[in-house]
Amino acid sequence: MAKLTRRDLLVGAGASLAVGSKALAGVPVAGKQVPSFYRSKLGDFELTVVSDGARPIPLPPRFVLNVPNEEVLKAAEAAYMPKGTVFAPFNPMVVNTGSKLVLIDTGYGPIAPTVGLLPQSLAAAGIDPKSIDIVLISHLHGDHINGIKKPDGSLAFPNAEIKVPAEDWAFWMSDENMAKAPEGFFKASFGFNRKVFGDIKTRVTVYQWGSEVAPGITAVETAGHTPGHTSFVIASGASKLFFQADVTNVPDLFLRNPEWQVMFDSEPEKAVATRKRVYDMVSAEKMFVSGYHFPFPGLGWVEKVGTGYRLIPAAWNPVL
Amino acid sequence: MKNELSRRGLLSSAAAAALAAALPAQSFAAAPPAGKQAAGFYRYKVGDIEVTVVTDGANRLPITDAFVVNVKKEEVNAALVAAFMEPGVFVGPYNPIVLNTGGKLALVDTGTSEAGYIASKGATGQLMTNLAAAGIEAGAIDTVIISHYHGDHINGLLKADKSLAFPNAEILVPANEHQFYMDDGNMSRATKGRVEDVFKNVRRVISGEVLKRLRTYEWDKDVIPGVLAVGTPGHTPGHTSHVVSSGSSKVYVQADVTHAPFLFARNPGWHAYYDQDPVMAEATRRKVYDMLSAEKMLVQGFHYPFPSVAHVEKTATGYREIPMPWSPVI
Repeated sequence: MAKLTRRDLLVGAGASLAVGSKALAGVPVAGKQVPSFYRSKLGDFELTVVSDGARPIPLPPRFVLNVPNEEVLKAAEAAYMPKGTVFAPFNPMVVNTGSKLVLIDTGYGPIAPTVGLLPQSLAAAGIDPKSIDIVLISHLHGDHINGIKKPDGSLAFPNAEIKVPAEDWAFWMSDENMAKAPEGFFKASFGFNRKVFGDIKTRVTVYQWGSEVAPGITAVETAGHTPGHTSFVIASGASKLFFQADVTNVPDLFLRNPEWQVMFDSEPEKAVATRKRVYDMVSAEKMFVSGYHFPFPGLGWVEKVGTGYRLIPAAWNPVL
Repeated sequence: MKNELSRRGLLSSAAAAALAAALPAQSFAAAPPAGKQAAGFYRYKVGDIEVTVVTDGANRLPITDAFVVNVKKEEVNAALVAAFMEPGVFVGPYNPIVLNTGGKLALVDTGTSEAGYIASKGATGQLMTNLAAAGIEAGAIDTVIISHYHGDHINGLLKADKSLAFPNAEILVPANEHQFYMDDGNMSRATKGRVEDVFKNVRRVISGEVLKRLRTYEWDKDVIPGVLAVGTPGHTPGHTSHVVSSGSSKVYVQADVTHAPFLFARNPGWHAYYDQDPVMAEATRRKVYDMLSAEKMLVQGFHYPFPSVAHVEKTATGYREIPMPWSPVI
């Protein structure tokens, strides 16, 4: 219909003159997304969420251990994800405490075309990787640790102290555990740890739950997803953020259905218990939360609804 | 403060000073804070059409009883708290979009203007800077489509020096909106205060060079290929939404059918003070939102939080917007 109108226009010489060349040629589409970073103030701290990208998770026959894939995909579709996919974003965060520049989790590295975007997001945000003082790791899964190294094997954040949770370090660096690990995701995770940490063990510091791992940032035990899975309470003045890492993965599935045991959980039942404990707490206290796999920028609040919880994303603030 | 104290403590002791010398300088002061938000633009595709949402910023308005004319401010504040927003203040975002249809580069609505940027110290009127950040030259915009004649939609047609912000664009406006606001009789009958001010602002902006480039469009016809004008009156007499479609994909660009959804989609019966005919506006709102929710149609809302693209679901008391998850790649 529209095309016909334009063709009609073009056959009449007078009409085409009136339209002008600009309208006919058009401007090429940009074809490129905005570099995805987002800033928020937390007391005196400046937070910058720096996206590592997003991708549809390749679904094995059982993505959620206690729920068939059809039901999972139905929930994903009800959440308007592209049909047949579970879409997962990755949201590392930079915290400028005034005295330290802290990067929390480092992204997947370039394992697929639409992930491993952290370096370009950092560059767009004007953050020099050399200026990162501390790399803080929530747990030792590939999508959180791979970005510690560049593809050539050198350190992506050469001046940073790398801090990892003690329990995860003990678990994932154990050759005995690796030998026992099932093929697939778990075996691969052990492999990522060796590839990332094998030759830089001396640069790694382990931290304990309950300790202040950077100024204003406290490590909180939220085990289950991995044995040492850690969340962080980031506090400045009266303001607080609960960085929940992977207490839940994609909220449309696992906040809505906190009982669902995603295949990535090391200890599924413990992960469910942790999830309920954390979300009862953050919903009751109306705590500001960030989620590594929440839709970018992944900041918001959680409310209890029915048998689960719902994420209320924070409205984008166009000024800082 | 606290860090400074502990640092001073450290430096006063000679042993600590020696230790400090051994530590790299980075330990003492992080890189300075950026102090600046990311550029506010976001892209998505509707079939072959590339949509770029380009935010104009957000305005902060104190909540009074006059804000929602049929609801007390306490109730509005309670709704804000329920939405995890600050009570007492309404943060209203403005989000124009650019459509690249292949044939046309069209801007839909223009924000609060460069003059607004200066007056608000950058809180609003960000369109020009965010367009530049998105790599879109103002001179390359060949079409400006206006949804209705309120200032936050038309003021951006002019730069601070009153010259045309989009010098090469044809300006397409809804015919009945234009007729209504350009009619001197209507203006003379306008209620003093806000309604009369809207008329005065329209006469200020829709004049001179703007008027020379202006062409009116009709409801139920394509404004440009792929963009259909749909009458959604009430907010203003000629208020228009646009259905952008390409192939089997569609987005309903609702302009101001609801203002910010966290108040007015959740409570469709609330009458915001800027709805000129609030009863008609509410009827339009319910009709459009029943359709959007039934058809699971993507909606782009001028006053939705950036990037302001969402789906809508029906709830017991109204509608709830489900923001589209941000896609870090296009």
